Amino acid sequence: MQAILLVFIPTLTIVPVAIAASLAMRKISHAAIEGMTRQPEIAPQLFTAMLVAMALVEALVIYCLVIALMVAAKI
Amino acid sequence: MSETMRHLMPYIVIFNFALVALVLVALAFVTTRRKPSEVPGTVQNIAEYVLEWFVQQARDMRPDGVSVIAPFLASLFLFILFSNLLSVLSFPVINVPPTSYYSGTLTLALIAILGITVISARFNGLAGAVKHLFWPNPLQLIAEVGHTLSLSLRLFGNIGGEFMVALLVAKAAPYGIPLIIHALGLIPAFIQPLVFTLLTTNFLAEAIHTEEKRPRKEKRQEVSPIEQPSSEPVR
Repeated sequence: MQAILLVFIPTLTIVPVAIAASLAMRKISHAAIEGMTRQPEIAPQLFTAMLVAMALVEALVIYCLVIALMVAAKI
Repeated sequence: MSETMRHLMPYIVIFNFALVALVLVALAFVTTRRKPSEVPGTVQNIAEYVLEWFVQQARDMRPDGVSVIAPFLASLFLFILFSNLLSVLSFPVINVPPTSYYSGTLTLALIAILGITVISARFNGLAGAVKHLFWPNPLQLIAEVGHTLSLSLRLFGNIGGEFMVALLVAKAAPYGIPLIIHALGLIPAFIQPLVFTLLTTNFLAEAIHTEEKRPRKEKRQEVSPIEQPSSEPVR
């Protein structure tokens, strides 16, 4: 039982969040790349804005990763 | 990671931070000993590009504080970048990036947040800096804690996660494949310092922002309705 929990709880913590975050990142990069191709002259500003937005999404995944690691260490 | 290594981890982190700081100070001495030439070489070009980027950020934020803000941001960026890049070295103890340990990244985030408060105290006065913590709403103080946590956890998750994956892969397949993992790890090693500095820039801009009654630089051009291009459909 312990071993099963050890495998499943961290996995089930991180996988749905990773899926959701990848969908969000798809939308961000889609919009940013579209903007860059339409207006190449503001591409650097768009790139930095995209990085910040990606970082904000990524933070949520990282929180879940930390929780998963804590759970994995506890069990 | 062996058990003794785990116990020694805090000392390794401190040693590697000190090593990175020493390398950066040495680099600064070596590169600034010579006068910059009129026609920049490769190294000077890269250095000027990086510095110009930070100066531009600082100038956008506060034109009179470039000499305070730009060095703060640039040193944070370079320190984190070099700490991350330690993982590509092939020496046994030195190749543990200090940013893959939570205490290390928490230190960096605390330095960033404290630096923001100090710089804001320098521009807006101590009262202004303290007022920013409670104004417009008293939850701003909790937001500062949140900023610290998010900055440190993001850096730790990216670099530490990559480091952990590299260790596990190296245990499973010792030859060849770790090379690919390390090459992929170079991407977050370059992106994360940039993200850290950008977010610090945003928080700093938020902190030193004051309601100035400065006149706008360019007036909006008033277009009289007669001169507007007609958008009537052609009949």
